[in-house]
Amino acid sequence: MKRTLFAFAFVLTLSIPAFAAHPGGTAYADVNGLVCDFCARALEKVFGRQEAVESIHVDLDEKVITIHFNEGQKLDDETIIQLIADSGYNVREIRHDESS
Amino acid sequence: MRSFIVVVLGIGLTIPCAIQARPVSYPDGWTVMVMNDGARNTAHIHYSPSARVSLGYKFEYWQDQDFYINAVQVNNLIQRWNRPESQANFYLKSGLGIATSRAGATDGESDVAGFVGLALDWEDRRYFVSYENRYTEARGIDDFFRQSARLGWAPYEGDYGDLHTWLMIQVEHTPEAEHNITVTPLVRLFKDVHLLEAGINDRGEILFNYIFRY
Repeated sequence: MKRTLFAFAFVLTLSIPAFAAHPGGTAYADVNGLVCDFCARALEKVFGRQEAVESIHVDLDEKVITIHFNEGQKLDDETIIQLIADSGYNVREIRHDESS
Repeated sequence: MRSFIVVVLGIGLTIPCAIQARPVSYPDGWTVMVMNDGARNTAHIHYSPSARVSLGYKFEYWQDQDFYINAVQVNNLIQRWNRPESQANFYLKSGLGIATSRAGATDGESDVAGFVGLALDWEDRRYFVSYENRYTEARGIDDFFRQSARLGWAPYEGDYGDLHTWLMIQVEHTPEAEHNITVTPLVRLFKDVHLLEAGINDRGEILFNYIFRY
């Protein structure tokens, strides 16, 4: 029983920071034209100015940007598409993960 | 010819920002570029108010002709083609300023100078191709045309923040020059917001370029 409780507590401990890390949810955008660090920098700068954005990660290998939102705030797809266009790129697809 | 240049310069300097393209930098981004090779030494700082245009100050010293230019330069991204694995761009670059001679019959004289050129590039994460040309007119001092092309290859693909390495070869053509073709193998190192290029041409002259974006 002790072992079961310990395992449950351990799993719970691991899951709390993961949930709390991005309470506002996460969006993933597949982006065309991401070929270099200057491209990544452009997206970081443009999204970094948004109040709703907690952080952004650019993956040049997968051509995906991951946008973490602040709690209670979000950007709609239209805004994300526009911000990416303002940075000089275009979007293939946007996905949302509300549980992150 | 001069009328044509004035018209093209005028277009370049006034082209509207509504052109569908990416920034030369990103909105509110600043870029510092220092370029040195066997023909010239230049420094260029520009600001991008949007994803489509940059405005800046350019200093150029042309070694063989022994004159320098202080100019306002405008770069317009006319078109960008974004693809899942690649990107291509078409730019118009133009400038207007003052040229000052340091040699010959015009030593010490200053006059209006302007330049205009087109630039095309295509790249994915392993290959790079570019072509650029420019006509420069420094009234009463010199005028010349210059074009160059580059081929590049990256031996590996790094992710954002990694050190990216490119091996490139640049061929320049200046029809009026004594040695009108120059070939320069070079290495490009690119990390985060810093880009550095170093090479040596077929006459033993050093190329050294540095770009910083913030």
